[in-house]
Amino acid sequence: MPIFKFAVDVQYRSNIRDPRGETIERVLREEKNLPVKRLRLGKSIHLEVEAEDREKAYEIVKKACDELLVNPVVEEYEVREL
Amino acid sequence: MKPKACVVVYPGSNCDRDAYYALEINGFEPRFVGLDDRLDDYELIILPGGFSYGDYLRPGAVAAREKIAVEIRKASEKGKLIMGICNGFQILIEMGLLKGALLQNSSGKFICKWVDLTVEDTDSPFTNAFTPGERIKIPIAHGFGRYVKIDEVNVALRYVEDVNGSDERIAGIFNEEKNIFGLMPHPERAVENLLGGEDGRKVFQSILNYLKR
Repeated sequence: MPIFKFAVDVQYRSNIRDPRGETIERVLREEKNLPVKRLRLGKSIHLEVEAEDREKAYEIVKKACDELLVNPVVEEYEVREL
Repeated sequence: MKPKACVVVYPGSNCDRDAYYALEINGFEPRFVGLDDRLDDYELIILPGGFSYGDYLRPGAVAAREKIAVEIRKASEKGKLIMGICNGFQILIEMGLLKGALLQNSSGKFICKWVDLTVEDTDSPFTNAFTPGERIKIPIAHGFGRYVKIDEVNVALRYVEDVNGSDERIAGIFNEEKNIFGLMPHPERAVENLLGGEDGRKVFQSILNYLKR
């Protein structure tokens, strides 16, 4: 069976505070003098799945997100094929 | 007969022995249980503090999907008492047995200190030995203790001052049926004056009162 490669980008929902992102944003703005307005630190999870076709592979990735990789209470995600 | 209680030991738990000791000196018959054990024999199940699975992905996320989680869910459906302390609270949240989320402290720092709390709800198996609104001192030690409130919850404990950015200064909550208690402070570390205080004892006394009723 073919192998498909994906990246899952996970971010906190926009109304959720992100102290790590805020710290990095402040350093870029105040120490590096870069006009950064908003910075959010998320995660990127790369995975390879074996499946009959692209569509089935995508379903597997979505299941992985829903069952473990993402906490839907505070996070949202996007899947990209690599 | 002393009530049987267990402490679930996850890879990375580090308050399991403290919890065991607190149970022992407060009139329980404690046991450690592993991830493949059954929980039928216990009237109280403690999910201890620590860093299960190194907090990989999110604190509690991996532990919440372990085989033992099925047993914990079964016990909760039977109305058994479950107390999740610190990482145990994070695991209960990740399991969906308690509402909301626990995220990184607003300061971005790990906080380890004794804090003042108020007991908001004394009508529960875990808090009946306190007086309503009682002010108590119990230590916290966490990096991810900022409680994010999504829906209405039964608030059990509140920080007197904002320590980690939690919504409404929430430090501990119950589920709807109040047989599950999740809290960031460590009552098991506050059971002897030698260690700085014994306000945590009343949590264990409350559970005894409830079980002996």
